[in-house]
Amino acid sequence: MTAGRPPRQGGVGRLLLHAFAYAVIVFLLLPTVLVAPMSVSPEKYLQFPPSGFSLRWYGEYFADREWVEATLFSAEAGIISAIGATVVGTMTALALVRGRVRGRAVVELLIIGPVVVPHIALAVAMFLVYEQLRLTGTLLGFAMAHIVLALPFAIFTVLAALYRFDADLEMAALSCGASRIATFRHVTLPMIAPGVASAALFAFIISFDEAVVSFFISDLDRKTLPRKMFEDIDFDVSPVLAAVATMLSLLTILVLVLGHFFKQMADRRAAPAREGKTP
Amino acid sequence: MARNAVNSEGRVAVHDLVKRFGSVAAVDGVSLDVAAGEFVALLGPSGSGKTTILMAIAGFEYPTSGRVEIGGEDVTWAPANKRNLGMVFQRYTLFPHMSVAENIAFPLKMRGIGRVERERRALAALETVRLAGYGERRTNQLSGGQQQRIALARAIVYQPRVLLMDEPLSALDKNLREEMQLEIKHLQQQLGITVVFVTHDQTEAMTMADRVAVLDLGRLQQVGAPRDLYEAPATPFVAGFIGETNFLPGRAVAAAAAGETLAVDLDGGGRVAAVAVDRLAAGAALRLAVRPERVRLAPSAGGLGGTVVEAIYAGVATTLIAELGGERRVRARIAAGTGERNWSDGEAVDVSWRPEDARAFAAGAAG
Repeated sequence: MTAGRPPRQGGVGRLLLHAFAYAVIVFLLLPTVLVAPMSVSPEKYLQFPPSGFSLRWYGEYFADREWVEATLFSAEAGIISAIGATVVGTMTALALVRGRVRGRAVVELLIIGPVVVPHIALAVAMFLVYEQLRLTGTLLGFAMAHIVLALPFAIFTVLAALYRFDADLEMAALSCGASRIATFRHVTLPMIAPGVASAALFAFIISFDEAVVSFFISDLDRKTLPRKMFEDIDFDVSPVLAAVATMLSLLTILVLVLGHFFKQMADRRAAPAREGKTP
Repeated sequence: MARNAVNSEGRVAVHDLVKRFGSVAAVDGVSLDVAAGEFVALLGPSGSGKTTILMAIAGFEYPTSGRVEIGGEDVTWAPANKRNLGMVFQRYTLFPHMSVAENIAFPLKMRGIGRVERERRALAALETVRLAGYGERRTNQLSGGQQQRIALARAIVYQPRVLLMDEPLSALDKNLREEMQLEIKHLQQQLGITVVFVTHDQTEAMTMADRVAVLDLGRLQQVGAPRDLYEAPATPFVAGFIGETNFLPGRAVAAAAAGETLAVDLDGGGRVAAVAVDRLAAGAALRLAVRPERVRLAPSAGGLGGTVVEAIYAGVATTLIAELGGERRVRARIAAGTGERNWSDGEAVDVSWRPEDARAFAAGAAG
């Protein structure tokens, strides 16, 4: 054995493992990556590799009233869902961590409901209820449906932030004369803010690219972007779709990067001067 | 008259306090009266209930039964933020998203005091804890000792009459801890504030407090000035917990009332004189408690004869362990510079003490 060096693990097995892992990653990423070059093709049909470079289909997207309207509608629903899911999610997380909730296990099970129930079942159920309430195709209808879908993610994101947060700081604030509400506003919320922000971002993305439920509760003139994409793919597979898909991917990547940034911020806040510096 | 009114604001009392967690009584009927401006330490091992009592005073625990009074007012059920107390915690609890000055000004902000006044008083509090010029720092730029000083400044900035401290120095190293013990003590005297201080460290309690309340298993063992606790422990637990004590089992030769001198037959042989702490019947089983520094050693001449089995030299004092036979061991402490002779292992020795230095507790007594 050579001194001063950790033993290395076996050569061939290790190589195979790495090769396999990278193959999986490539397989997962390939469709997303391929769609980008297809979107800049000048031809009127989807083609790979592209015969040239053109932003024609991006221009077409922005010029088409229907695409823009669907996008704006999705954005509106996304923002309302993000706000709704974050507010309800933060309150729920707080109650679960700090409160004495009766039947906590049942509540926690119900929270992951929207994740484990098949979306198609949820979609049918919502369609039947919304029909009765005349909520199909309304902003309120979409926002409510998306809040339900985004809530589990919002709750778990804020829960994670709360678990990292030192509850003694709340006791300290109370001992300083702060009311419960003032304690939340001046101490708890600023400390878990990065977690709350990333909850909002993820809720927005979940709403923005949600397709199954939206498909059912849309009507002819009010539809979300994913629903519009579905319709398009049915009769006219134009490179506009590739352009939209590319932009959606970029938006998601942006959100992921932002989310990562918030998480780092949260970690930095959660690790305050616990140890302090040596005197 | 006005002075009295102000003073009584700082009085803290708990009456028949009981706190149960399930079937376990963390605090089991404790009554304690802390005078305004007094420094009282709650001392005990973990699980003695000392922190639970503090939390009941602070408003972070509500008792199962009993009462908490601050300034003569019943606050048993008042929320923590309405009690107008200062509190310093064991863990560092500065708000990491605020500067040092903002941390200190926080209680003033919660009381609706204007910005200019807040800043003035925060600066004054910084000076009080000898950290003037630290106002703009982030809390993670401070050492542990500095953080606890800022926490102290935050707790006193609104001039509460009562300051609660929950082992605030336990995370600091020994030298810093000793320095801050005196600093907090001086600050308390200068401000005339009432302090209830929880600690498991007997030296810390003795150094800082006017009176020490010793707790064990949720019950109050004894309350008194540090000297009284050490010189006249009321229970075997206090005798064993505060300082070091030799315990020897024995029986009373004749009946004795508390405070009387009596003769004791030690189990395993030997008759000695002692002072009864509890009332003892003739023949009653008892435990004799003798401090190591009160044990006298002489070359063997009858009496309680034994053998030196170990001599531990520690500079300021030497501890000798003498075996009396029957597996009984007695520790004796000889302070350096007393001209006492050196003892070596295996030497025959005669062990004795003055009757007033041996305290006889009834064997059934708590602890």
